[in-house]
Amino acid sequence: MTTRPTDETSSIYDLGYRSYEGVRLGRRYAVLALYRESLRAAFGLGRSTAAKIAPAILIGIALFPALIQLILGAILPIGEIELVRHDDYYSGIKFVMALYVGVVAPDIVGRDQRTRSLTLYFTRAITRYDYALGKLAAMTTAMLAITLVPQLLLFVGNALATDQFGDFIRENWDELPPIFGSALLGSWLIAAIGTLIAAQTPQRAFATVGIIVAFILPIPIAAILVEQIDAGWADYAVYLSPLDLVDGLTYWLFGTAPPASDSLIALTDFSTATFAGVAVVVALAASALLVRRYIRVQA
Amino acid sequence: MIGVIVGVTLRQVGRQRRMLVLLVLALVPVLISILYRFTADNSSERDAIEFASGMLATFVVPIVLPLAALLVGTSALGQDIEEGTIAYLLAKPLARWKVVVAKMLSAWLLTYLVTLVAVLGSGLIVLTGHEGISLVPAFVVACAAGALAYVAIFIALSLRFSRALIIGLGYVFVWEAIISQFIAGVRFLSIRAYTVGIADALTDVDAEILTRSLDVTPAIVLLVLLVALGGWYATRAVTRFQISERV
Repeated sequence: MTTRPTDETSSIYDLGYRSYEGVRLGRRYAVLALYRESLRAAFGLGRSTAAKIAPAILIGIALFPALIQLILGAILPIGEIELVRHDDYYSGIKFVMALYVGVVAPDIVGRDQRTRSLTLYFTRAITRYDYALGKLAAMTTAMLAITLVPQLLLFVGNALATDQFGDFIRENWDELPPIFGSALLGSWLIAAIGTLIAAQTPQRAFATVGIIVAFILPIPIAAILVEQIDAGWADYAVYLSPLDLVDGLTYWLFGTAPPASDSLIALTDFSTATFAGVAVVVALAASALLVRRYIRVQA
Repeated sequence: MIGVIVGVTLRQVGRQRRMLVLLVLALVPVLISILYRFTADNSSERDAIEFASGMLATFVVPIVLPLAALLVGTSALGQDIEEGTIAYLLAKPLARWKVVVAKMLSAWLLTYLVTLVAVLGSGLIVLTGHEGISLVPAFVVACAAGALAYVAIFIALSLRFSRALIIGLGYVFVWEAIISQFIAGVRFLSIRAYTVGIADALTDVDAEILTRSLDVTPAIVLLVLLVALGGWYATRAVTRFQISERV
């Protein structure tokens, strides 16, 4: 046995640590803060100019067709003009959507793994479910900037073009539910797949390449299988491509038929409702896998 | 000495997981071609030529080739810079342009290898026994030229920017894929258009998808210019590279 040190040689120093006496804002506040900060990171807010450039350019490209229509509609007094339509807007900005989620998703989910700050999050009031779902919600909201915003601009543009702004809104208000529905469902699907891939690696470049390839590669694969291979089963390949799913569900929600000439969806003879169904299933599966990933990840 | 650097780089990049991913990517057109061959055995000559030219000109050249060049090209020298091993390379008594040539050569070899799998696999499977078989050698040659050009600019990019991969992706999927659809003049500044243009000149098959591209003379001139420019910039950047304690 060692002898106990005497009082003269040892003492406990008061290091001045203090306990926190302020208000504890709790789990709900923590999740909202996570959501808010993730959303800001998506647009590069509160970060260097370099981080703002890529999202800003891509949002600009995505809004461009709608803006042109808005401006032309406001200036030219020729009544209805239709450069772009609601139901095929997303098929026109397919590549932009893939690039956008490829640039933004690694910023939203990869950063915390790269800086090894996941541990810090999970020691707070936030649970792993909260973290995964908060990040997914932030990415989905960030997607709305290139899905919902251009569609609404287009709607306003069409209204301006008719001179009777109020009448147009009264007559065409029934376009608003499909606008919101397609934007929300499409954004959720793209965000879920994007964040799921980005959550697999802390390396930003790999995540970006992986996401872009996952969205763009299935487009020509589906197109070749559907157009060139005669067997009926090859048509199901169209469901492999998430961006074609977004296309299909948009046609379904707007209740229009895809153009028979150049649309892959028209070639398959599948009802457009099935695209919405597959989209929901895929989005749910991707969200579940994302949650599972964060429940298992080492932190 | 160039040979040694080529050997080291081939091992360094070739053993990484990204090569495996790229080979899987190159096998996708091959698999689709096998499916096509089995399902459409009573197809006409015209169909087979259309399918093969479509596969080569809209899948292999615009996706497999640039992605392979991007992943390999940005890591051939970029990885040395990132990990600091470039100090050992540049400290050798060796002209810096030789380093660039060696790195370009090895990146080109790996890129071309991946692309060749896709070209030969899909082309031969679909066209063996058909008239349009001359598409295959045409694309074998054209992809060699295209791979060199892509590798040259991606190596140059990786020396200038730390986010070369993202910038290269932007070039491939925004400039060549999106903007070229709206502005016809973009084909004069698009390696994809050069590659398809060269392939078009080398084959007697007249598929619509090929003839839309650039003429062969401007394609070759611009491609050579681009390779020279990429090589010159990379040499300049490597010559001015400061070997210092960068951690």
